[in-house]
Amino acid sequence: MTPALILFYVVAALWLGGGTLWLLSHRRYRITQAPQFAMDLLGFPVEIAQAVFGRGGVPYAFLLPNMLIFGLFTFVPVILNFYVSMTGGPALNVTQRPFVGFENYRVLFDCASILQPQTCSNAGFTFWTSMFNTLWFVLFQVPVLVAVAMVTALVLNRAIAGRGFWRAMFFYPVMLSPVVIANIWKWILHRKGVLSASLEDGAASVATFAGVTGFSIMACVVLAILLLIAAERTLRAGAAPSVVWAALFGAPFVAVIAWADPVGLAQGMASGTGLWLGLALALGLLGLVIRDHRLVRPVLVALCLLAVGLLLTIQFDAVFDFSGFRAVNWLVTPATGWPFFWIVFVFCWSHMGFYMLILLAGLQAIPRDIYEAAEMDGTRPVRVFFRITLPLVMPTLTVVIVLAMIRSFQVFDEVYLLTGGGPGRETFMIVQNIFEEAFSGTNPRYGIAAAGSVLMAIVIAAFTAVQLFATRRRSGI
Amino acid sequence: MAGVMRFLTRTAGGQDGRRIGVTDVLAYGYLILGVLLILVPVSWTFLSSVKPREAIEAFDTRLLPLDQIEAEVDGRGLRPLYAWDDPRTEGQPVVKVGPTRALTDVARIDRPEEVLQAPRGELVALEEVRIATENYLDPILQRGGQRNFAFFRYLGNTVFVTVVATLITLLINSMAAFALSKYEFRGRMTFTLLIVATLLIPSTIILVSLFFVVWSMGIFGSLWGVIIPAAATPTGVFLLRQYMLTIPDELLEAARMDAASEWKIYWRIVLPLSLPALSVLAILSVIWRWNDFLWPLIVLISDPTRHTLQIGLTAFSGEFSSSTHYILAMTVVSLIPVTLVFVYLQRFITTGIATTGLK
Repeated sequence: MTPALILFYVVAALWLGGGTLWLLSHRRYRITQAPQFAMDLLGFPVEIAQAVFGRGGVPYAFLLPNMLIFGLFTFVPVILNFYVSMTGGPALNVTQRPFVGFENYRVLFDCASILQPQTCSNAGFTFWTSMFNTLWFVLFQVPVLVAVAMVTALVLNRAIAGRGFWRAMFFYPVMLSPVVIANIWKWILHRKGVLSASLEDGAASVATFAGVTGFSIMACVVLAILLLIAAERTLRAGAAPSVVWAALFGAPFVAVIAWADPVGLAQGMASGTGLWLGLALALGLLGLVIRDHRLVRPVLVALCLLAVGLLLTIQFDAVFDFSGFRAVNWLVTPATGWPFFWIVFVFCWSHMGFYMLILLAGLQAIPRDIYEAAEMDGTRPVRVFFRITLPLVMPTLTVVIVLAMIRSFQVFDEVYLLTGGGPGRETFMIVQNIFEEAFSGTNPRYGIAAAGSVLMAIVIAAFTAVQLFATRRRSGI
Repeated sequence: MAGVMRFLTRTAGGQDGRRIGVTDVLAYGYLILGVLLILVPVSWTFLSSVKPREAIEAFDTRLLPLDQIEAEVDGRGLRPLYAWDDPRTEGQPVVKVGPTRALTDVARIDRPEEVLQAPRGELVALEEVRIATENYLDPILQRGGQRNFAFFRYLGNTVFVTVVATLITLLINSMAAFALSKYEFRGRMTFTLLIVATLLIPSTIILVSLFFVVWSMGIFGSLWGVIIPAAATPTGVFLLRQYMLTIPDELLEAARMDAASEWKIYWRIVLPLSLPALSVLAILSVIWRWNDFLWPLIVLISDPTRHTLQIGLTAFSGEFSSSTHYILAMTVVSLIPVTLVFVYLQRFITTGIATTGLK
């Protein structure tokens, strides 16, 4: 007989027996009113509260079950967590656990430097490794997640045909269970899976195509035409420069600069700076276009000439010679960053729809007439976004960022099922650390796990506070 | 022609005949790309799950479930068939009768005693499209030596947890929401704040101590240990409370005039009127419970008879990593109910989440 069972029997006897007696003595029921009697019996505690305390007692009776469960399974554990974190040993009965003070915390902090987990005790090593992995994860995950959700919400907030369909499709992965998601992606990302196979096929056919005579010249001409069209469209006569076309100009421009590597060309050896130089130039151009700067035209023409000139120096058949390409074992190969990348990707894949939905609701709550007024004034779309949309959606955005952050800190399911924390401990997250300390293995260390979760709570609270503080003025909360 | 073009390039809400610009092209391109990124992995898993075991193990990346045809050959049993473009075969399929070498011994199926020498590269496997229903039926019906995945037991456990937990959630959350929205009483603010506080406590932080509470109550290892701790959801209380605030108090007063008890007001008047909000919460609760993973893993993993579908699937994938074809099929089975619910109720769900903004 467990305490819960005894309690259950006592409550059930009082409820059913007492309730039947009380109801039958106070009211009359016909046989056909049996369902009604059942419902009244279910609400017997409320009825008795009304009979004894009058209407004033009723709301407390209504709140009781919810508060009982909140209290027992949320508030008591919060307090208990501090206590458990100061006890040791494997005992399951809380009263029999020896009190050890701050010993568990001391073990976790038993390091030469917590920034170097390898100098810690064993428990400290796994804890701080998982802590830093989680921090890196949050650092990458939250911006990616919020940015993708924001872009999707903005696209869906346009005059789009079939918005309900798109919205539902993007939300669909949120409904899938982590086990299903992990099995799907494990199957796709297997070393011989469909992704590796398609990439290798694709690389092989591109390499074959690039080997055709005249490919280099054709690529050169096609890219030059694309760049010129985008540049011309950016500077449509009589209109402000188009940001979208400028971005479309920027993408091939970055590729050209990255391939041509002008710095390396001047030095006579590969420098590896091409990509960054290209990105810097393209972002600079984009900044000018957004501000409608008077230098846009000369700068764009100069960049165009630069790109077309550099095009002639690129050996396209060498650039596109992917014949040596071999796909890696995405989730298993250590020290490549791919397992971490796919964790971030799959998490974004499965959770983006939820944040997108909240942001979309926030965007649709912005009154239309503000946009109409802006259109009357001939405000440019970029300005409308930064001056109207972003400030007005800021409260929603803050909520989304906080929710995404708290959710990312707690990442467990997908990672545990996809990589199991591996390879090595590259994707070993903090909840998995708590889970493994306490619940897997023959020697559970509940104290260490509880201490770890207290530290995790402190980190989450600190991050949330910083985030709310940073956006307090703009978000108005 | 111009009319056709205008029809094809017109946009929603574009009464002024606005044409599709580059931004629209990019927007639709982005949406199509995103939907492909979501649908292709799911569809690929489905297509793979109906492939025969040999195709799965060979990582056959063709779309259709192709299986090599086998035939009974006199004195040699069931053998896979090959096509060999050679005049001596007269168009008949051949079977291998020796080990595969540069020159492999083959024989025509109608003349198995006559051994021919075929270059290995010229033998093409003869394949037919076959839906491998055994991937699904073996684990479900416990056939073919598949006794490790007790499908109906897991399904029963999952359905029990989902249904009971949803009913309890609906009942107690609507009761709390009714009290918080329709009564003025001392401590109303305190109770509301307490519920907000539970919203801010991530469940993973109290994992260890929740385990102690559940263990000391004696419901650890049973399905009730999964059902009860999460039965009261702050999300549900808020969702219902927001909705109940819109029900006019006059209705309640009129019922009180007719001497209805408060409980009767709750279940005869307020509950039927809150049906839209209740159904949103019911759908959310079903999805949460169906997909729940970490807490059931802790509570139920040690007892295989109490596994839910998700936990059973995890244990199965962990232990029998060679049975990929079964794992894929069971993944699809576990995905189907959620997909069906979603297809029929997606409008409910998306508006429900957008209005509560919580999960």
